[in-house]
Amino acid sequence: MTITSGIDVGTGAIKVVAFEVDGDQERCLGKRVERVRQRDPLKLAGDIYDDLLKETGVVRADVAYCATTGEGEALTFHTGHFYSMTTHARGAIYLNPASRAVLDTGALHGRAIRMDERGKVLAYKMTSQCASGSGQFLENIARYLGIAQDEIGSLSQRADNPEKVSGICAVLAETDVINMVSRGISSPNILRGIHESMADRLAKLLKTLGSLDGTVQMTGGLALDAGLVEAMKDAVVKAKVDVAIESHPDSIYAGAIGAALWGAFRHKRLADMARAA
Amino acid sequence: MRTFVGIDLGSTTTKAVLMDENKEVIGRGITNSRSNYATAARVASEEARIDARFTLFRRALHVGEAGHEHSAEFLAALERNFRLIQFLEQLDDLEETCHRQLEAERFKAVAGPLQEALHVIFARLREEAASLYAPGAKRKSDFFRDIAGSRFHVHAEAVAREMGIALEMVLNAYDKSIIEVENRPPGGELSEKFRRAVARMLAVDSHAADGEGDFAAMIESALGIELEETYLVGTGYGRVTLPFSKEHIRSEILCHGLGAHMMYPGTRTVLDIGGQDTKGIQIDGHGIVENFQMNDRCAAGCGRYLGYIADEMNMGLHELGPLAMQSNRPARINSTCTVFAGAELRDRLSLGEKREDILAGLHRAIILRAISIISRSGGVTDQFTFTGGVAKNEAAVRELRKLIQENYGEVTININPDSIYTGALGASEFARRAVAA
Repeated sequence: MTITSGIDVGTGAIKVVAFEVDGDQERCLGKRVERVRQRDPLKLAGDIYDDLLKETGVVRADVAYCATTGEGEALTFHTGHFYSMTTHARGAIYLNPASRAVLDTGALHGRAIRMDERGKVLAYKMTSQCASGSGQFLENIARYLGIAQDEIGSLSQRADNPEKVSGICAVLAETDVINMVSRGISSPNILRGIHESMADRLAKLLKTLGSLDGTVQMTGGLALDAGLVEAMKDAVVKAKVDVAIESHPDSIYAGAIGAALWGAFRHKRLADMARAA
Repeated sequence: MRTFVGIDLGSTTTKAVLMDENKEVIGRGITNSRSNYATAARVASEEARIDARFTLFRRALHVGEAGHEHSAEFLAALERNFRLIQFLEQLDDLEETCHRQLEAERFKAVAGPLQEALHVIFARLREEAASLYAPGAKRKSDFFRDIAGSRFHVHAEAVAREMGIALEMVLNAYDKSIIEVENRPPGGELSEKFRRAVARMLAVDSHAADGEGDFAAMIESALGIELEETYLVGTGYGRVTLPFSKEHIRSEILCHGLGAHMMYPGTRTVLDIGGQDTKGIQIDGHGIVENFQMNDRCAAGCGRYLGYIADEMNMGLHELGPLAMQSNRPARINSTCTVFAGAELRDRLSLGEKREDILAGLHRAIILRAISIISRSGGVTDQFTFTGGVAKNEAAVRELRKLIQENYGEVTININPDSIYTGALGASEFARRAVAA
């Protein structure tokens, strides 16, 4: 029986999980997520990590492998680091074994990943070098409208006449919203319009991965946004990509979960090698 | 007195200039633009009228003349007290509005503790308000939204920790309130606020009116001069949304060209870096536009780029330049997009690169983009004038001088400390000509 942990340091939020792994048995001991909010992400990650360990009743020394992903490589206390695409692929398989592709919607990037049943990455695509239509973009707009993150989804689902938005600069988004507001467009229609344009881009990204069989699992911070998930389901139909889109209540932890599980895998291999030697 | 008003409704800030019949600027005002341009225009012109009052006070109190050494000091203190009164008024409004939010369904479960938290936060905000407006105090910005927002954030974080409640909820109550509050133009009569500020000062500092006659009486007489708004011209990004008829509107390119010409009659090329657009303008000897080019819908290379970086670093916008000036090894920034540059900044910081070197690199990046816009508008012809908010940033100016020198050789570069008002100045001159014609 091995205890491992995964720390996913994102641009917008820090996700931390602890796992108990025994052969094929994987049990989540605890999970934590916290928005960065202009604090030092590395210090914050350390604090949340310690909080989580305290909650699960273990100390740092009990953790056989502390794995980081995202921007977490600079954490001094970690055992090893894994790239985001591999951790999200692995995390998605854990959340839903039928997943064969991942749509990771984070604060800056959208990523599409194709993998096999064991979480091995087969193909990978990422959005361009412009933050238009990113999570950060949606957050800027919601903040301006005074809408909390957990309200976005249900508001978007109430839209009756979505406002078309395309390629708005994330930083100048506020101005565009100002103009929408002054033209009397409702918050639901603004949000749904943004969800649709984001979903169209992500659907294009999925298309470039080649043929998909199995489910596309949404991960990352925006996977909890029911409005985006709904728009995504519409967008794949429109783009003629024949896949099922799924999300999961723990989607935001996919990267951290994948890191903890890859950490367990690597720990076992290292132990086996040490024994063989 | 008759005054002519020019209003420049920028995407980020709205500027107003009050000009008298002798083409002299007597007042300038600035505020942040909001979802309601009519309010922004009203607040900016009110700010310009406040500034104009101070011009009249300076005249009434003979500032700068021999034997009136204390006048300037008195007026500086008056301004601080006046601003503090304004700030506290808006703070009251914000507190009431935040409390009203708690009646909503989403706050039901935590309304009690949240209410308590808000009380504590606002008590602390009020407690520190006087120190924000103390002599020599540095403020992050002069806009209520920025000052209140950044201080609210600091106190909210502490109070949420102390009381063990969710910070997100507290911030959400603020987010839901701030637009409403800033869209209510400050109420009350201006003259009344000036009188209250004087009274406040005399209460604190009884010998404020020492030896040079009665300051309070002089202020009173200056308050008696009526500022008549004879004609108004609006320009800028939000001009079409203004409740003005067509003859009261001019394009921002024309206003910027004319404004730059009024400050520097010899200028032929103007670069304006505003909040969300960067313009290269070529003008003739009368300030008439011959050619122009502007960026399109991307914040890289405009003022918002630096604004965003300042937010990322939790610094005030005007603190960036001085810090970047300390570098002589600018980093090479790879990201074009502002948001990605922000992430690159964080990466570089965590790798231990120096803040000033990264910042210097970011300043270089914004100016490189501006230079490419100028070259597309027809290059640089002597004299060159740099306007807009970014012209206040010494690090940006340093990079600009270097790049102009490299690409166009020896050119006179004009930078006016009030260059953020260039568009509004041009508009006020159009207003003056409309009546004079």
